[in-house]
Amino acid sequence: MRTKIRALYLFLAAFLAGALVWLAPALAAAQEFEKVSGAAREELPAGRFVAAAYGFIWVALLIYVVSIARGLARVRADLGDLKQRLDRAGPRP
Amino acid sequence: MRSLGFVVAATVTAVGFLFVPALILGAPLEPVMGFVQKIFYFHVPCATMLFLSTFVCAGGSVAYLFKGSEAGDRVAASAAELAVLFGLCTLVTGPLWGRKAWGVWWQWDARLTSSLLLELIMIAYLLARRYAGPAGRRLAAALALFAAIDVPLVYKSVDIWRTVHPRTTVVPTLDPRMRPAFWSAFALILLVWSLLFALRLRLEKARAELAELQLETEDLLEAAS
Repeated sequence: MRTKIRALYLFLAAFLAGALVWLAPALAAAQEFEKVSGAAREELPAGRFVAAAYGFIWVALLIYVVSIARGLARVRADLGDLKQRLDRAGPRP
Repeated sequence: MRSLGFVVAATVTAVGFLFVPALILGAPLEPVMGFVQKIFYFHVPCATMLFLSTFVCAGGSVAYLFKGSEAGDRVAASAAELAVLFGLCTLVTGPLWGRKAWGVWWQWDARLTSSLLLELIMIAYLLARRYAGPAGRRLAAALALFAAIDVPLVYKSVDIWRTVHPRTTVVPTLDPRMRPAFWSAFALILLVWSLLFALRLRLEKARAELAELQLETEDLLEAAS
């Protein structure tokens, strides 16, 4: 089992090293930005982007809170089931 | 007492949700980017919570890997979910800001790429826990260490490489008139993080206790029959 875990770690390290090598050209390209002057500017309504950003954060947080609440409710229900099973089985010896 | 603390924190958070946006709207407009810069007030705290969650996850993972601490594992699992959540918020709000400010949704520059890599490692952590079988928790804990190593790289990437992303000097040199809005938003997001972490940890603990009780019940029922 330990050998398998070690093999997994090695594979993971090799994968990350490979990914870094693969990304290197993109990182190098990032050093080659050139200043562009006189380019046409696209006019976009900023309000929509701000609203979308804030809306996304609140919705994501809300969904997460709901998922935790559902998880807690499920645990509570399972505990109830367990109690019922124990009650049906009678008093402990 | 713990419940009272939770109620107070939740109330402060609810008030913060009303109060902080008003402060942000009242803060002066950034002269170059204009109104879209308002995303900054939540984007930066979300990114900071991603870093915090990753470090907490790595700390719990170290305790689990080297001391076999079950509590450490529960802390790590809870923090990992928050890392994915706040990472997602960062990676969605950033491109929304970038589309307006830079003209593009995404650039494969060092900051954006390393942030995406961090998010993917944290998603891999959750997937490993769920699907990698008995060794999943150990594998996930090792992944958390990789994620923690990536955090300083993400943070310093804008200073090391030339990127389109603003540098780490933005917050220290922030216009003093923008600071109340920024630090209020930061405090609010930190409070939300603390509440979510406490809730998630409670769920993880309840699940562990339930699993233990289920095993005990099976044993009892088997002995009784």
